[in-house]
Amino acid sequence: MKRILHCTTTALALILSMAATAQDTLDREVAVDRVEVVGRRPMKEIGVQRTAFDSVVLKEHIALSMADVLTYNSSIYVKSYGRATLSTVAFRGTSPSHTQVLWNGMRINSPMLGMTDFSMIPSHFVDEASLLHGTSSVSETGGGLGGAVKLATRPTDREGFHLNYVQGIGSFQTFDEYLHLAYGSERWQLSTRLSYASSPNEYTYLNRDKKENIYDENHNIIAQYHPTERNRNGAYKDFHALQEASYRTRGGDRLSLTAWYTGSDRELPMTTTSYAEEERMENRQREETLRALMGWERITSASKWHAKAGYIHTWSAYDRRVQLHEETNGKVEEGLPDGTLEHTRNRIHSLFGQAGMEQVISNRWLISAEVTAYNHWVRSRGKEVITENGSERLGYEEQCAEVTASTTLRWRATDWLGTGITLREELYDRAFSPLIPALFIDGEVVRNGGLVVKGSLSRNHHFPTLNDRYFQPGGNPDLRPEQGWSYDLGIAFRLGERKRLSAKGSLSWFESRIDDWIMWYPKAMGYYSPANVKRVHSYGIEAESTFAYRPTNDFTMELHATYAWTPSLNEGEPFSSADRSVGKQLPYVPEHSASAALHLDYRAWELAYKWSMYSERYTLSSNGATITGTLEGYALSNLSLSRTIALRWADLSIKGAVNNLFDKEYQAVLSRPMPGINYEIFIGITPRWGKKSSK
Amino acid sequence: MIYAALLAACTLFVGCEKDSDGPKEPALVPDHALFVVNAGNWGSSNASLTIYDPATQAVQNEAFTTYNGYKLGDTAQSMTIHDNTGWVVVNNSHIIFAIDLKTMKEKGRITGIHSPRYLCFVSDTKAYVSQMYSNKITIINPKTYQITGSIICPNMAADSGSTEEMIYEDGYLYVACWSYGKRILKIDTRTDAVVGEVEVGIQPCALVKDKNDKIWALCDGGYEGNPLGYDAPTLVRINPRTMSIEATFTFTKGDYLSKIRINDEENRIYWLNNGSLYRMSINDPALPTTPLVAGEGFFYSLTIDPKNEDIYCSDAIDYQQQGILYRYSATGTLIDSFYSGIIPTEFCWK
Repeated sequence: MKRILHCTTTALALILSMAATAQDTLDREVAVDRVEVVGRRPMKEIGVQRTAFDSVVLKEHIALSMADVLTYNSSIYVKSYGRATLSTVAFRGTSPSHTQVLWNGMRINSPMLGMTDFSMIPSHFVDEASLLHGTSSVSETGGGLGGAVKLATRPTDREGFHLNYVQGIGSFQTFDEYLHLAYGSERWQLSTRLSYASSPNEYTYLNRDKKENIYDENHNIIAQYHPTERNRNGAYKDFHALQEASYRTRGGDRLSLTAWYTGSDRELPMTTTSYAEEERMENRQREETLRALMGWERITSASKWHAKAGYIHTWSAYDRRVQLHEETNGKVEEGLPDGTLEHTRNRIHSLFGQAGMEQVISNRWLISAEVTAYNHWVRSRGKEVITENGSERLGYEEQCAEVTASTTLRWRATDWLGTGITLREELYDRAFSPLIPALFIDGEVVRNGGLVVKGSLSRNHHFPTLNDRYFQPGGNPDLRPEQGWSYDLGIAFRLGERKRLSAKGSLSWFESRIDDWIMWYPKAMGYYSPANVKRVHSYGIEAESTFAYRPTNDFTMELHATYAWTPSLNEGEPFSSADRSVGKQLPYVPEHSASAALHLDYRAWELAYKWSMYSERYTLSSNGATITGTLEGYALSNLSLSRTIALRWADLSIKGAVNNLFDKEYQAVLSRPMPGINYEIFIGITPRWGKKSSK
Repeated sequence: MIYAALLAACTLFVGCEKDSDGPKEPALVPDHALFVVNAGNWGSSNASLTIYDPATQAVQNEAFTTYNGYKLGDTAQSMTIHDNTGWVVVNNSHIIFAIDLKTMKEKGRITGIHSPRYLCFVSDTKAYVSQMYSNKITIINPKTYQITGSIICPNMAADSGSTEEMIYEDGYLYVACWSYGKRILKIDTRTDAVVGEVEVGIQPCALVKDKNDKIWALCDGGYEGNPLGYDAPTLVRINPRTMSIEATFTFTKGDYLSKIRINDEENRIYWLNNGSLYRMSINDPALPTTPLVAGEGFFYSLTIDPKNEDIYCSDAIDYQQQGILYRYSATGTLIDSFYSGIIPTEFCWK
């Protein structure tokens, strides 16, 4: 451990001292990632498959989470267990823990579970979001076997005071509040964002998984019917606060401090086949998370340096309780203690440090290097067990350190040909990953980015999570990391940029093979345990395009569409001769997914239509055609209409949104009902006081 | 135009509505039939019931949903037949369904019992329900589908206590305290009082009674890190009258023991160890060193045909697909195999 810290400190010191001696021509501040050394494409994008989200999409309305944004604006699979319930994302047929999520450069995946709940990330708290598909994530982070989601906040670009308050009222007694206060000056940018969302979330649905009985006086069933039920036990209250402060020195350095607090109290809805009495059941998840990040950044005409330090603290609680009661011949006797089916308290402290640089050399070379370190302390406590010596709680207490070093060299060999190589090495606890290389190449077929052919190839590695290794009972400390190779090849085109009619898009083929895929399965003793059991072969196509039409200055139309075909096959050794899962699509990975978003702007009006589709998902590894073996594919549509009203003293906005426009009855996960058509209305105000014009 | 075509093409991939309604005509359950209780995946509501006819080798999967038009539920645990009615306990749906075995239609249901596991009848009007993560055994009246009372197990935590398999014999109920437990409890069914207990090995998970009215308990030994301890699994013979241990057979620490079952003559017991099938006579002085059957798969659960001592072992394979059942003769010869549902966990003979 000491050695790791020593190495990290040395590396940090080295990079910082290099930063101090870097050239000082800072008034000509040009971002390296916009350096157009040759041609028009940034060198950082050589061979990279990236999907960037427009801020219009992120800020569409205050009730959206990043799960909603990804569902309607990308082809990656968002698996949702319900409204305001766990939502995970998976790229290219991999599992949710194979998607790395970076927030301002700091990974925010749970070190215990490996995955990220995107329903807990309000999209209004994100200013920049992009996806790095497969291999393209290697130059930013390790472990993204499927890819990475990059989220970032950005200092305000306005001068003076700015206030924006939005209130939303929706179906199922849903209330959303959002307040944004910002101050910007030449040197300082301050921003405070607060949001609060709450709902009893009791939408109704026809429960086709149950029937209610009608009895005669002799208790014979004389009729049955599917009941219309409420989404029981699904209430939520989510509070978020994001504070940012950023200062730009006269020398051109930028110092920043960002802190994001989340306080969430969510019930976990009952399944469609639960016959428990709602008032006697509690199934609740609570979480408090603080993510704090301090950063320094210096950008010159030819280089970029940064150092960051961060801390994440998460306290989470999960309770599944039942109020015990005596019931004798229908008479209930109250006052007996609670029975606890599940009781978990987790506390995680994570420290983060990062230092990196990018340097342009002779206009054809770009070199970058980064060292990142994390240290996690986890204390997980479960239920109390009576032992001979009193009582003891199930659980574990562990810590682990991660250090990653990477360097990337990009070379624009000719005006039309670019290449890049990334080398990454990871240390996780006491285990080194093998050297992770990634190669990137692209070639411009039509000048100025009109048509580009690109490709990349990489090895990748994903270490088991802390729960995989230590969870009690069942954790398996002997797990091997998941590892694999992947490549992609594609084209990207751009037509009529800055003209009335423009289009851009990309089409790519990808393939990956991942060995030692970790899966949890029950042991004879009644608990689950993970093992390295599968080999997964994924391949397919990803396509994306944007079409924009601007016939006049006050009318624009933009259509963004995505599509992915994602066979993801288990090619591991069969468990036995009876195993029918080999060669089959992984459960809960749709083969086809697509989305489309149409935005029409006319003067102060904006109409948005969003559409998302997932094909059927198998729930069985054998893809068996049983009654519960497949979940139907579904397509959802959302529609919103908004208008801004400019008054002398304020800008007002009003927006109406209809979700699940065609009232589609669907389940994203077995026995987890989703809401039908529902409505929301948002009213926003932005006072003009103290506001100066934008920079 | 391209976009319209793309959207249209994508829409084609969305499946058509399936109508899961409309139960089929009443089933014909053979006079001698095996019911397989397929637990399904926890939280997924994909439990199911399979009916197997040993005479014709015919298999009916998803029998409950097929003949009732709705789901069996989340994590089915066991089935007990009493008076031509099948009682299926669905643990995480917190329900017990009563099924008419002539038609496979539901006759009634009992709710209000949290996390039920097994059912044990003592009469037409009284049965006991064991429960997981509860220190309570619930008493029901199967005639009226009502809860009539409960027994609080002494010295058991409400949070982590569990009761599992039960045996009724001569006026007394014997209950295995499995999860984080070590004891077998003896309950007088006339007074519902706990009148005795015996400490066996760590986590007694399964019970059988032999022809000498002795009770055999299989203790899985716990696991590494278990607060209650981690020990070698044991097979323990108990004298139920005195609630004392008569014999203890010790396995190797780390062995995965599950299920113990007995033939109809109640003189040969069967169990699973590390996925293989073992058998011994109730009079054998030591555990067998070689399995009766091994290598077909990793056996997860087990039952013995009371008619001819055919042995049925289930393999849950990867626990995410339909499990398979292997049927062997009493000598260990493979007779048949068939797929049932997800995680075939328990069995019941009609």
